Amino acid sequence: MTEAKTVRLEIDGKPVQADSRDNLIEAARRIGVAIPYFCYHPRLSIAGQCRLCLVETSDAPGRLVPGCQVRAKEGLKVTTTSPAVKENQRGVMEFHLINHPVDCAICDQSGECKLQDYYMEYDHQPSRIRTYKLNKPKREIFGPVVVYDAERCIMCTRCVRFMDEVAQESQLGVVQRGSWSLIATFPDQPLDSKYSGNTVDICPVGALLNRDFRFQSRVWFVNKSPAICTGCSNGCNVYVESRGDRAYRLLPRRNEEVNQVWMCDEGRVTYHATNEGRVEWARAGKGEAAENVGPKLAVDRVVDRVRPLMGKGGIAIYLSAQCTNEEAAAAFLLGREIGATRYLTGGKPPGDSDDFLIRADKNPNTKGVRLVAEAFGAKLEEVKAGDVIAEKALLAFRTDGLTPLALERVELFIALEQNEDLATAHADVVLPCASVYEQDGTLVNWYGRLQRTWPSITGSRADAAGVAATRTDAGVASTGRSDAAPGWLWAERILAGLGYTHAIRTAQMAFALLAERASELSGLTLDRIPDEGVVLASQLPAEWPKRAPRPAAKPETRGPQTTPPGAKVGDEASGGSR
Amino acid sequence: MTELHDDPLALEADLPSSLMTVNLGPSHPAMHGTVRLVITLDGETIVDAVPEIGFLHRGFTKSSESSTWHQVLPYTDRLNYVSPILNNVGYIMGVEKLIGIECTERAKYLRVLGGEISRICDHLTCISAIGLELGAFTVFLYGVEARELLWDRISEWTGARVTTSWTRIGGVATDLPPGFVERLRESMPRVMELTHEIDVLLSRNRIFYDRTRGIGVLSGEEALDWGFTGPCLRACGVNYDVRKAHPYAVYDRMDFEVPLGERGDTYDRYILRIREIEQSARIIEQCLEQIPPGPIIIDDWRYALPPKKDVFGSIEGVMAHFKLIMEGIQVPAGEVYVYSEGANGELGFHIVSNGTGKPYTIQVRAPGFPILSALPRLIKGHAVADIIPIFDSINMIGGEVEQ
Repeated sequence: MTEAKTVRLEIDGKPVQADSRDNLIEAARRIGVAIPYFCYHPRLSIAGQCRLCLVETSDAPGRLVPGCQVRAKEGLKVTTTSPAVKENQRGVMEFHLINHPVDCAICDQSGECKLQDYYMEYDHQPSRIRTYKLNKPKREIFGPVVVYDAERCIMCTRCVRFMDEVAQESQLGVVQRGSWSLIATFPDQPLDSKYSGNTVDICPVGALLNRDFRFQSRVWFVNKSPAICTGCSNGCNVYVESRGDRAYRLLPRRNEEVNQVWMCDEGRVTYHATNEGRVEWARAGKGEAAENVGPKLAVDRVVDRVRPLMGKGGIAIYLSAQCTNEEAAAAFLLGREIGATRYLTGGKPPGDSDDFLIRADKNPNTKGVRLVAEAFGAKLEEVKAGDVIAEKALLAFRTDGLTPLALERVELFIALEQNEDLATAHADVVLPCASVYEQDGTLVNWYGRLQRTWPSITGSRADAAGVAATRTDAGVASTGRSDAAPGWLWAERILAGLGYTHAIRTAQMAFALLAERASELSGLTLDRIPDEGVVLASQLPAEWPKRAPRPAAKPETRGPQTTPPGAKVGDEASGGSR
Repeated sequence: MTELHDDPLALEADLPSSLMTVNLGPSHPAMHGTVRLVITLDGETIVDAVPEIGFLHRGFTKSSESSTWHQVLPYTDRLNYVSPILNNVGYIMGVEKLIGIECTERAKYLRVLGGEISRICDHLTCISAIGLELGAFTVFLYGVEARELLWDRISEWTGARVTTSWTRIGGVATDLPPGFVERLRESMPRVMELTHEIDVLLSRNRIFYDRTRGIGVLSGEEALDWGFTGPCLRACGVNYDVRKAHPYAVYDRMDFEVPLGERGDTYDRYILRIREIEQSARIIEQCLEQIPPGPIIIDDWRYALPPKKDVFGSIEGVMAHFKLIMEGIQVPAGEVYVYSEGANGELGFHIVSNGTGKPYTIQVRAPGFPILSALPRLIKGHAVADIIPIFDSINMIGGEVEQ
């Protein structure tokens, strides 16, 4: 690629400073001029397929050139508002709509469809077509994730280019010609790439749809909030879309240094664990004797059982790598106060990986849990398959990786867990844990990027985790649909029950427990973590998978801090990121 | 034993008295629109009065901010709920001015026609209430019969008697139904006959005349200072009518007069409304004669909903419909003040758009607000019994005063 230079050009009479690698669409975007497009995508090759971005330039007076293909050039004069450009946009929209079915009412894309947006902006005229529309395949199952509606397709070929260039598995192609063109898979070869869901995201219309989200919700009903995917240790930035106490889908959120604008299909369905199979109520007792006792009594039960053991040894704390840093920090604090003698860790078993976005470690915070352990000066031991935990009492912060075999000799097992599993069935007390998508906190990805995640689910379960939790603390019965609360809040309740006054009331306070102990994080607060995260230099790996996105040349990296903890960290003084 | 009344001096002596503060309203049936008056009395004489609004607070401005441009329309119905079409027209004129479009020719006539029918309803309500509350129940029944006739016509036309929400950006929602013109032409003479009956019953009635003449007097200058507009201003002899001074829609093609009062008292405010009903009737007749055929709404799918045939039958129609309903009509950023002649005076809308499908803010210049502010000035020095006719004659409407 050519060297980047700054070039000056003029768009609609306004001067623009652009990068010489910018095309006219990107150059115009810099000054807020919108050139419409369907087929162009900043991360894919140029196709010039949709003809909607045609503009006039001083290099080719009297004819239109595609804004996606023409590069910014010194002294170029671009017009995006001339009658010829406007007439082209109107005409192109009319062509795109000739065979488009009257589907808005039943189409999942309604409300985030570029055809709708551009029609109102550039066409807004009645149909002039007096013949029948072409009939094409309506519901081609392309693969496990994607279903295709050929009638809605405008043949922008974004999906084809994505599969060729990003997923690098050429599973899609264009077949037939003219109005009969459609996107198709090869015979007997489904669209089974692990990145196939991205074709749905980049489809500007409702032609490619996600089978998991299809007909589940209208897009204008869901709340979109930023979070971090919990599917593996890559830590893809995502949006969680939720309504009431249910999550409906995950969409990738742009972070060039983590996931660019993509995510894998496995990550997309991680929200199901937030909706289904939850531990909803705090309960005490095993098997037949199990009883939902409410958060207050459950915490009392924990306190009653733990107090006699305190200081006598034989208490272990288990930390799943699914915990947020805040949960882990509160767990270590609790462990220190009750005199835990051993800290164990584990998590979901490793899975498949590739050289792009999928990591073998299927836990989002393995690095983070280790970082917290270091900060608290605790030795963390991994529970391997076949290990039997020898301690009398075990307090588990999320039970992923704990098997009945490992628990065989444990006499008192207290589990904080989000989903019912084999371990919760063995627990003496089960405290329902809020999902990562329901709480505020931080996670550290595989290469050491500390990223914030936000609570997404606005409905009653989140109320139970937040507002109602304080009410239940005061002894009032929970009014929410669940007792679920973040792990750090359960730790705080147990600590309070034992008579300690740490007062961890917010995720910010829980993060501070960690930040004041880890030298790399000193001076950082939860609210001051940049949206794109902070790279912790000490955690950076020596080897990188070939295509994995990595921090830019001058990363937002934090090294060990020279300023003492608590000192004001300014732009120059920090020696770190800010 | 000497009784008190035996003492001639005691009978002549001043009674020991002090000022008394009493509430009138907010739930008094004569305090229309639940307004509360805190009045200070010296015996029977009013020394001071404080009108207190807020019992009918509707949050008009705030509600508008979270509604699309068309969703605001039902809120305007409830401003002056006796003449909703006038509010619909006033508001939609503002949005059209922001966008820079004009409604169709037929829609302009329809808006004037609907507006003048509404004005008659409003005036009839006002004068019937004055009659009712001064003991002339017959007048009320006559007035309401006439008003019902007109509301029947309006409900045939718009689908609702008072909650019309009938205008649309670029036009109106419904055209005249079949046979409407004939039925309106049948109704109008009866309405005018009943208005005449009221006129005959009240205008020269000794009791009514004495209760209203010279009561609640305000000079033209003072009325202007208070910010009066509409019938209450014209009763003081000031010739200002938005329809004449700044004609909108098709008022410049209408031949009508602006009746004026002389003394600015309760009687003038009453009689002026009777005269205005007569003028409105003239305008209605002219509208019916002049109204051209044609579309009732502009044919631009950026602003007007596509016809149902296109919504169900073409992708263009369904997309336009979807975007207009879900995201609202995109009104360019800007700020306007529009004013029209409401039933009680100049009805102004100050509308700010930030270029989205919802208004940034809307404020209403309710004609009743400055007039209500002057109520203490009007009733001071009068007897308690005079409050009601004065308050009736200014025709305060809670819905618009307390937005």
